[in-house]
Amino acid sequence: MENSEQPVNPANKEAHGLYGGEVSGLLQAWSRGDQEALKKLTPIVYGELHRLARHYMRGEKSGHSLQTTALVNEAYIRLTDYKRMRWENRAHFFAVSAQLMRRILVDHARRHNLKRGGGVQHVVLEDTAVIGGERNEDLVALDDALHALASVDSRKAQVVELRFFGGLSVDETAEVLRVSAVTVMRDWSTARAWLYREMGGAPADGC
Amino acid sequence: MVHLRMDADRWKQVDELLQNALTLPPEQRDEFLQHACGADAALRREVQSLLTSHQKAGTFLQRPAIDVAAQATAHASDALVPPSPEGQIISHYRVLSKLGSGGMGVVFEAEDMRLGRRVALKFLPEAMARDPRTLQRFEREARAASSLNHPSICTIYEVEERDHQPVIVMELLEGKSLKERIQQGNITPEELLESGIQVSDALAAAHAKGIVHRDIKPANLFLVEGGRVKILDFGLAKVAGSPLEDGVDEESLTAEGVIPGTTAYMSPEQIRGEEIDGRSDLFSLGVVLYEMAAGKRPFAAKNRVLLMHAILNEKPGPVSSVNPMIPRELDSIIGRCLEKDQEQRYQRAADVCSDLKRLRTSTASGTAVALVAKLPAKRGSLRVGRWSLLALVCLGMIAVASGLYLRSHRAHVLTEKDTIVLADFINTTGDSVFDDTVRQGLAMQLEQSPFLSLISEDRIQQMLRLMGRPADARLTPEIARDLCERTGSTAVLDGTIASLGSKYVLGLRARDCHTGNVLVEEQVQAARKEDVLNALGEIASKFRSRLGESLTTVQKHNTPLAEATTSSLEALKAYSAGLKLSASEGTGAAIPFFKRAINLDPKFASAYAALGLMYGDGGESALAAENTSKAYQLRERASDEEKFFITSYYDGRVTGNLEKAEQTCGLWAQTYPRESLPHGFLAGFIYPASGRYEKSIEESQKVIEIDPDAVFAYDILASDYVALDRMEEAEKTINMGTARKLESPQFIAQRYDMAFLKGDGPGMEREVGLAKAGLGGEVRIANHEAFALAYTGHLEKARQMSRSAVDVAEQAAHRERAGVFEAGAALREAFFGNAAAARESAKAALQLSNDREVEYGAGLALAISGDSSLSSTLAEDLEKRFPEDTSVRFSYLPALQALLALNQGKSTQALELLQAAAPYELGSHRSSFVGLFGNLYPSYVRGEAYLAAHRGVEAAAEFRKILEHRGIVSSDPIGALAFLQLARAYVMSGDRTHAKSAYEDFLKLWEDADLSIPILKQAKAEYARVQ
Repeated sequence: MENSEQPVNPANKEAHGLYGGEVSGLLQAWSRGDQEALKKLTPIVYGELHRLARHYMRGEKSGHSLQTTALVNEAYIRLTDYKRMRWENRAHFFAVSAQLMRRILVDHARRHNLKRGGGVQHVVLEDTAVIGGERNEDLVALDDALHALASVDSRKAQVVELRFFGGLSVDETAEVLRVSAVTVMRDWSTARAWLYREMGGAPADGC
Repeated sequence: MVHLRMDADRWKQVDELLQNALTLPPEQRDEFLQHACGADAALRREVQSLLTSHQKAGTFLQRPAIDVAAQATAHASDALVPPSPEGQIISHYRVLSKLGSGGMGVVFEAEDMRLGRRVALKFLPEAMARDPRTLQRFEREARAASSLNHPSICTIYEVEERDHQPVIVMELLEGKSLKERIQQGNITPEELLESGIQVSDALAAAHAKGIVHRDIKPANLFLVEGGRVKILDFGLAKVAGSPLEDGVDEESLTAEGVIPGTTAYMSPEQIRGEEIDGRSDLFSLGVVLYEMAAGKRPFAAKNRVLLMHAILNEKPGPVSSVNPMIPRELDSIIGRCLEKDQEQRYQRAADVCSDLKRLRTSTASGTAVALVAKLPAKRGSLRVGRWSLLALVCLGMIAVASGLYLRSHRAHVLTEKDTIVLADFINTTGDSVFDDTVRQGLAMQLEQSPFLSLISEDRIQQMLRLMGRPADARLTPEIARDLCERTGSTAVLDGTIASLGSKYVLGLRARDCHTGNVLVEEQVQAARKEDVLNALGEIASKFRSRLGESLTTVQKHNTPLAEATTSSLEALKAYSAGLKLSASEGTGAAIPFFKRAINLDPKFASAYAALGLMYGDGGESALAAENTSKAYQLRERASDEEKFFITSYYDGRVTGNLEKAEQTCGLWAQTYPRESLPHGFLAGFIYPASGRYEKSIEESQKVIEIDPDAVFAYDILASDYVALDRMEEAEKTINMGTARKLESPQFIAQRYDMAFLKGDGPGMEREVGLAKAGLGGEVRIANHEAFALAYTGHLEKARQMSRSAVDVAEQAAHRERAGVFEAGAALREAFFGNAAAARESAKAALQLSNDREVEYGAGLALAISGDSSLSSTLAEDLEKRFPEDTSVRFSYLPALQALLALNQGKSTQALELLQAAAPYELGSHRSSFVGLFGNLYPSYVRGEAYLAAHRGVEAAAEFRKILEHRGIVSSDPIGALAFLQLARAYVMSGDRTHAKSAYEDFLKLWEDADLSIPILKQAKAEYARVQ
């Protein structure tokens, strides 16, 4: 069994204890099927989400500024307090926390869509300057597409979940999935191309 | 939308082709695919489509989901409304439900996730939050208010930030506001007095720190369970510019029919917009008390302008005119609060408080019941006879009613009145270095807290003895719990240290020693042995907060253990052992351990300080000075609390600068109100040196209040009473100590002196017997006996006694003490006229030690016995070595230099030199603590100077002063000689009758005296001449 107490990077050292080890405890409970834990985790994730959102609202531009990157990193660090957890292994923890983020963020997007009239299935964000991407990204659609991908190639879906939702690096993802970093990169590029097309980014030719 | 219509094998093929194509330069990919797919055009198109997607995808999915979601949220129109904080996390607080809103913003209940307690969060109102300057002031005020630590002031834990706006984190209260209480009516006089006392006491504490509330009103006074009143929103009104109205806006300024809210409680100076001070709060308090007593406000008007006019110009009718059952005294207290002119009002909140307390005491007896019974109900519909029934109903309502900040919870585990007992750690690491070290380290860390109070080591050992256990018994959790109950403490702390692989796990828990319930529990890990001290610091700070200390003081006084003590575990171990031994075995046994601690860590400030203290207690001031100076140099390497100790001990004992020591101790006592030592220093040697015995009494009483088993405090208190000639109280004090089963050599010496002053020979002998029976202080008592014998002229016996005292002290390697004893002997010979013997003893004393008191005593003896040359050398040495010493400057040197001037026939100069001593005239100096000589010497020498100047009347006054202060002079030979000198003074002024009786007093005192004493022969001859 590997040492689960070692922080992944120095930044985590400062982060540990922000929630008094609460997040990891709740994650653990959630991974055992405790739905109450999810209720408690949700406001914590929302807290970070709103913090970031307010940053954008204040017009603190923009997409790739160092400050934003730092804020996002900080959010992940706060939400994944590695140091305090007592997980059988770190990989398990990463996997659970990525699943959690997916679950909460997709739910959030779904509720948001409903509020906006229900008829609109996807939140379409046109502002590419802010998004920094060339295509619309829609968490609800992405979630659906990921489910489809998982039915054929679950590892690729997991790679996306870990990297995109869990905020993990290539190496961390490789560690979780017990594959090489090269494999992660290959899975990532295929999955990304496929998802992009599936979500309406490029014409597909059904075969 | 799902395009994935293929099986796994097909997908694998696509994936592989895509990846292979991606390894090629774009221009070669088509060719590769055509070749690889062969006839399978569908496969080729599929891979090509993905290749296109890949090229176009850009930054798709490249940024983490939460960032994408955040941007989506930010851009959604409904997100632009600032979200309610409910459910949010601010710093480490999870915001729960809204509790209420008022002039100063909205209040939410929240959970402190770090400390696991419920708190209240206060968010600023929108309008205020928009102005950055208001925000700054708000934050400054809130931080100032957070420094207030008073049971009747709602504690502000910290100021957090949310969206660049401050959020106040404060104590969550359960109860109701006084405003609601007043609306219910039927406020009893007890209730009124209790509230008034608590609020004025809290205001006194705040005003002392320069913080004025500015908005005292019933809505800001919160009644919590158990009869406590809590003042809310301290200082915040300042930010708003004026007191905040409860839901009354500016339009109501002249609007008819509205009775304005807060304006009714403003002071005249506040209305005029003048600078205000604490007295403004007292006016507002007066309005509140009036309203409580009368059921209506003293100033009422239809609109705000008229109301302001009333406050400025109208005198409210006395409360008793509205409620005839209100005692006149309360009428006058409220009246003095409501004086329009600040100068005519109460000047200090403390005065209001003490007047209310006095009134409470006087009405506590039968009269109160009558008052309560007759207090009319507010709306007149309620009849007197039904009062008690109504009271029950009201109480029921209080219990049920939910106020502004409610919810049942316990924010604090301990209060500032509780004490705790620290058990020994259970060490399962197998490494003995942790044995006492961990407990000591934790104690030192917790002692930095002004809030917590640990039962002292002395007191624990005292209790252990009473429990029939050895003083160094291990404090198992069970014994510690027993001790906790016996000392009336609240909680016992026990801990464990265990190893886990190469790591260490420290656990600590606090239990209520009466119920056994676990109050707080924490665990920390240390990766290495060297990290254990840091881990201890970490767990200690957590505990301090969780036990109820405000974060402000936790942060302010929290020097990491390694910095506050030593980074060497071994050194800390030696130090801990030393401390333990010093309490159980005495200072001598502890010295080698402190020395070892210093060897292991030559920068260990506390170890030097402890060593200095040990030597000081043993009467070795040179070594005490050396080590205390070292500690003083290293004082930055000590905790705040320890720094206070080191600095005041250094000032008091090394430089002797008592003015500085007094300042330091004052600050120390203020910062650590639960620490007894600063009071002990003030009482023990600072106040007595300047003759402020009354102050010393107050301080020693404070020590006893904090630590009822502090032996030394009873001794000091008794000495103070003796000095003031209040013998009965002195005896009572010592009896109080012995009733607590306290005994010490000091008590024996104290009782001996008291018996001496009463002329109680058998009493004196009893104490000598006790000392010899092994209760300690045999050497000390021998010196007391020597002085007592000489006082009645039994010089030969005194010499023998003195010799044995010197010898025993010398054998015990207490050369300094021996030197002081010998100097005392020299002085006796000198005063009695045996010049040669005096010179011999003086030189012998100087051989033993060159301590201040030795040089002073020897110098005096030499000056009296004609060796002015050596004496003046000693005076110069004292002046040079102790330029800051209060006793040296204001008592020793004036007396010594004046004597030398007299030897040269310069009586005028002598009188001038003695002027410096005037403020310290009645002081008790260090020379008298060990040597039993030196008090009032400046007066004695001044008397001699007047005699030399042929000013008999003035000389007589000086000698009378000595005879009138027997308690201070005690058995010093000048106490006896003052009769003779007084006689001489009367002769000089031509008063033969008084002269004769003074000679007779002296000769009566010396009726069994050794006939060979020169001064006795002289006295007899002089007496014969006045016959």
